[in-house]
Amino acid sequence: MRILPNYFKPLYAVVLINIIGFLLLYFYRKPLENTTIYMGLIVIALICLTYVLIIKMNMGDEYLFLIVSMLISLGVIMLYRLDKELAFKQIVWLTCGIMLFFLSYYAYLKLELWDKLLYCYLGISLVLFLLTFLFGRHIKGANNWIAVGRFSFQPSELIKVLYVLFLASYRNDPDKLRIDNIRLKGIKLNASSQLIFMAISYCFMAFLALQREFGTALLLFAVYYTFLYVMGSKVPVMLANGAFALVGGLLGYFLMYHIRVRVDVWLNPWKDIANKGYQITQSLFAIGAGGFFGTGLGLGHPDFIPEVHTDFIFSAICEEMGIFGGMAVILLFFIFAYRGFKVSLTVKQPFDKTVALGIAMMFAFQTFIILGGVIKFIPMTGITLPFISYGGSSLTTGFISLGILQAISKKSL
Amino acid sequence: MFEILSSLLKYIFTTVIYFFIFSVIRLIYLDIRSINNRLETAPGKHPYLKLINRRDSLSFKVEESYILDNNKTLGRSSKNDIAIQDPYLSSRHAEFIIKGDSYYIKDLESTNGTRVNGMRLADDMVRLDNGDKIQVGQLTFIFVKEY
Repeated sequence: MRILPNYFKPLYAVVLINIIGFLLLYFYRKPLENTTIYMGLIVIALICLTYVLIIKMNMGDEYLFLIVSMLISLGVIMLYRLDKELAFKQIVWLTCGIMLFFLSYYAYLKLELWDKLLYCYLGISLVLFLLTFLFGRHIKGANNWIAVGRFSFQPSELIKVLYVLFLASYRNDPDKLRIDNIRLKGIKLNASSQLIFMAISYCFMAFLALQREFGTALLLFAVYYTFLYVMGSKVPVMLANGAFALVGGLLGYFLMYHIRVRVDVWLNPWKDIANKGYQITQSLFAIGAGGFFGTGLGLGHPDFIPEVHTDFIFSAICEEMGIFGGMAVILLFFIFAYRGFKVSLTVKQPFDKTVALGIAMMFAFQTFIILGGVIKFIPMTGITLPFISYGGSSLTTGFISLGILQAISKKSL
Repeated sequence: MFEILSSLLKYIFTTVIYFFIFSVIRLIYLDIRSINNRLETAPGKHPYLKLINRRDSLSFKVEESYILDNNKTLGRSSKNDIAIQDPYLSSRHAEFIIKGDSYYIKDLESTNGTRVNGMRLADDMVRLDNGDKIQVGQLTFIFVKEY
């Protein structure tokens, strides 16, 4: 591929955003600290290095990383403004993430066995679920963290990627899931692969719901349902799944206190504004306070919102960068998802097609679910905004997925 | 001081973000257009193969015309530049070679052979002229060179 100068024009914009952002942050913190400048330079260097490597080594679609680098920049700048320590950690995670990005790119491209590991994906997911149940730590009402030494990570993030790979290998070879005349205590068992596939998918969602990971459960359902539609399932199958999910959702609403609280707060947050509705109302105030262009970096009060650095970072962006900044974030996710779909359409092998589609859908639905929650469009469920929110597990698995998508885009050329 | 700086720079900040989005969308647009245009504008500059079979009589996917702007191989395997799923084609069937202003066709030891104006090709390259009929598998193309 020829390297045209206009490939670098968007990169200059990313660099400029980082320069402006970190310069403002430099003057924002009193006393002035040189570390701010160094952090900014590290972020710029990381992004430029990765992008130049992608172009020089002809690693397929060059827009995917470009869009992600803009999201990362906005996220790191916002985090630095909210909490310096978290931003340091986020930059460390970013470095790990970029290494994992290249690693997963080469692993996906060079190893030709990803479509044959269906049982493996299921096994690893099961082990992760069991580990979370046995050793899971309760953080903020959710039982979804595993601690390894000083670090703790969220297995549900990895399970999202495993589920996409599971979907794709099922589509590639559905017969692997069929039960044919297996004798169990004299009873012959027969089940079609589609039925077993559905059962496994619902098991994933049920496990996640038991860990109080409603956001991820909803996300998996959205991906699963779209996958059924894309596969060309018959209308009765789609309706039955919809009805089943509706019943499951209603059961969850009546049986689980957490879900009921979330829905009540969604319907009327003003009733209990000092307590349960505090978070969402603060988020709405923050979005409203921003106006078109925002208050300016460092001039708003996004720190009034609890959990502003993970789930509610979009409200902070809306407050300080304005509704135009928020719309820019949404637009960026739009073109990212569009690129994902384009990769999925152009690649030839069905396995790659499904993985690309799954990853694009995963990012798109995740964005929709968390942004919808933050602006009180749908009930709030705690998941992270991909590439922007603070979170090591979220960022690194985001980069693993991106690496896989990049590898598929290379295959589609 | 910081307040003034921050409230001024926020406009620049937003403008740069939108400039970024605009330039990415523009590049993506150019990327897509270059794929589509290759089939529409190129016939004036490069010779091309025109299909004379009726496409709806064939059970596999085939284009109405193929541009010969580079050396191109034709065959059933997807690794070819011109990949057609005709069961009567070999996986690597024939090659189109450009030498200066002249265009040549070479049979790549295909099972069912390649015919130019009814003559089955041997191992050598054969020069193509405007209007030559090329038969491969079930397909018949006309070589068009309009200048």
